[in-house]
Amino acid sequence: MKSRDQEYKEIFIAEALEYYDALNRHISDLEKNPEDEQLLAEIFRLLHNLKANAKAIGYESIGDVSHKLETAFGLIRSRELSFSDEVVTVLFDGVDLLGEMITNIDSPKEVEPSPELLRNLDIIINSLSENSSELTKVQKYYTTKNLSLSDLIYIQIKKLDHLLNLVGELIIDRDRIFSLSKELDNEDLKNVSAHLYRITEELQYSVMDARLVNVGSLFNKFPRIVRDIAVVEKKEINLEIVGQDIQIDRNILQIITDSLLHLMRNAISHGIEKEDVRKKNKKSPQGNVTLSAQNDRDTVILKLIDDGKGIDQQEVRKAIVNRGFLTADAAADLRDTEVLSYLFEPGFSLAKEVTEVSGRGVGLDVVKNAIDSIGGRIKVDSKKGEGTTFTLFLPTSIAVKGALLCQVEENFYAIPLMHTDSVVAFPTQELHEVGDLLVADINGETITIISMRELFNTDLNDYSVKKSDLNGDAQNIIIVTYNNRKLGLIVDKLLRQQDIVIKALSKPVNTIEIYAGVTLLGSGKVCLVLDVAAITRYFIARR
Amino acid sequence: MESQNIRDKKEKVVEEKVHLIVFKLGLEEYGVRIDQVKEVTITPEITRMPKTPSFIKGVSNIRGDIIAIMDLEERFRIERPSGLPHQHTYTLVMEAREYTMGFIVHEVPQSLTLPVSSIDKAPSFIQDININENFIEGIGKHEDRLIIVLDIFKILTSDEVMQLKS
Repeated sequence: MKSRDQEYKEIFIAEALEYYDALNRHISDLEKNPEDEQLLAEIFRLLHNLKANAKAIGYESIGDVSHKLETAFGLIRSRELSFSDEVVTVLFDGVDLLGEMITNIDSPKEVEPSPELLRNLDIIINSLSENSSELTKVQKYYTTKNLSLSDLIYIQIKKLDHLLNLVGELIIDRDRIFSLSKELDNEDLKNVSAHLYRITEELQYSVMDARLVNVGSLFNKFPRIVRDIAVVEKKEINLEIVGQDIQIDRNILQIITDSLLHLMRNAISHGIEKEDVRKKNKKSPQGNVTLSAQNDRDTVILKLIDDGKGIDQQEVRKAIVNRGFLTADAAADLRDTEVLSYLFEPGFSLAKEVTEVSGRGVGLDVVKNAIDSIGGRIKVDSKKGEGTTFTLFLPTSIAVKGALLCQVEENFYAIPLMHTDSVVAFPTQELHEVGDLLVADINGETITIISMRELFNTDLNDYSVKKSDLNGDAQNIIIVTYNNRKLGLIVDKLLRQQDIVIKALSKPVNTIEIYAGVTLLGSGKVCLVLDVAAITRYFIARR
Repeated sequence: MESQNIRDKKEKVVEEKVHLIVFKLGLEEYGVRIDQVKEVTITPEITRMPKTPSFIKGVSNIRGDIIAIMDLEERFRIERPSGLPHQHTYTLVMEAREYTMGFIVHEVPQSLTLPVSSIDKAPSFIQDININENFIEGIGKHEDRLIIVLDIFKILTSDEVMQLKS
């Protein structure tokens, strides 16, 4: 694996060569059309970017030459310098020099900018008169031009999406062949399918790898955004960014972009207190916001931490009652973690005043929907007076997900591991009947237990399970978690853990809420993927 | 000369044929235009899909595509004559504009070509039977058989199917 620095360097070189090609093209056009403002602007932009990139990565001399050329074109743009023959020659020389320097980065014959050329550039920049007589002829020691193509290509994400879908299909077929070869018990077939297995696996990871980008590509946009929000809110914010190197699927990053922006706006405008309030509470006058990323096996964990005023549990409880989600008694009984989960309900907002940057009615429910849609989850922790932390658990890649397979009646179902908490065999006798529902005390938590059989076979309004409806002395319960809420699902049989490729259900059955999709098992059997979010919502709505 | 031409044209129109796939639902014969049928196959294993109406039998894996399977007899509440053996059922894979769906039939579907002229527009009394008139394109006659021609596209896009939400 190449180091990150090496990768950046390669990207820089590829981009720089592209700039160089574009510069050559534009400058030749400009020679024919010296008045073309657009061309000038474009050349100016290219040189400017090249300078900035070169300086950022530490190629000072390329940065310097670009800077001088940029200045010269700036003067031409403002008509302080005419695009005369002598000037053109110097500029062409300058661009050629840039090309040489870029091509020979890190090679033994690294090119130093020729002093004569630099002097010529200085002359045309500094002498605004027609004083071109001082220009010296530059020795062209770099006349041999090698034509070469870039080592990097740009690719539309659409094409990678397609490739990934194909790989998904291939994996399904591979698994089928793999299990067939076991059934048929033919040595040759087994060998071939084992090989096929390894190759497709490698192919899958290669495609997934090609789609990975640094979290930094999103995070690095935040310093500017934070500054702008802070200016509007008249607050001083100290933003710390951690873990830009963590890699994640480009589409997942794209999907959570708006969510992260939303959370950041909330944190600054509602979370961080005004300076005088902070001083009174013995906090630093600047608010501190941390944006961090870390890896945990197949999950990327993003955190947005502020040290603001935190979320007032009592206020949330009041709002739960006021907005009619629960009665006052029920709200008072909620556990703290459950209280906070109401923040993600549609139409639930604590904002008292609408400010310019946030509080325009777009709630946290939108954030949660975005994260649900990619099979991630979001958690909020907050302590009054100390701050709030939003934690986003995101899959590294969209295509393949770990899932727990279980059986209910004759069907197989998959539950994404992202939403499973634990699995228990629970004595039927220790379940309690509360109204039409069952509850259990598992590791000190009271959890609502749902019989999947009953859920599948009755209308939700008629859902009612008594202990006597259950078979056996112990129940297989999968405890799932969604939005800080836990739910126990009774299944007939626990099968195994497996990586699955989730396909979307096609019309017209794609509207059935409790399914997140479908997958094909190695046996060729169709396995429905349960949508834990929807099932949880079902039972919340019921309450 | 001119009138001769017109007559020729008329004859051509008369000869226009329509190619149907014909299958039995209950005791009657039904047909769909062949261009709406993607394939006919022995019904593969169907995975039941809880929380769908009973006429959706579930989903099946047909050549890597996972499609919903509908029982037209149940959908139209057509009673099946009891005692008929059905070892296999067949699935007609139909293509609508946006998606594909399978329909179960109990006997081997046949193909049949009829002149367009032998298909009558659905008469209004058909409202009395359980199939909504909208789904019937017409009634075709072939020798002494009567074939109810269905407009599959309308079935696939009917609100009832589109809004399966439980």
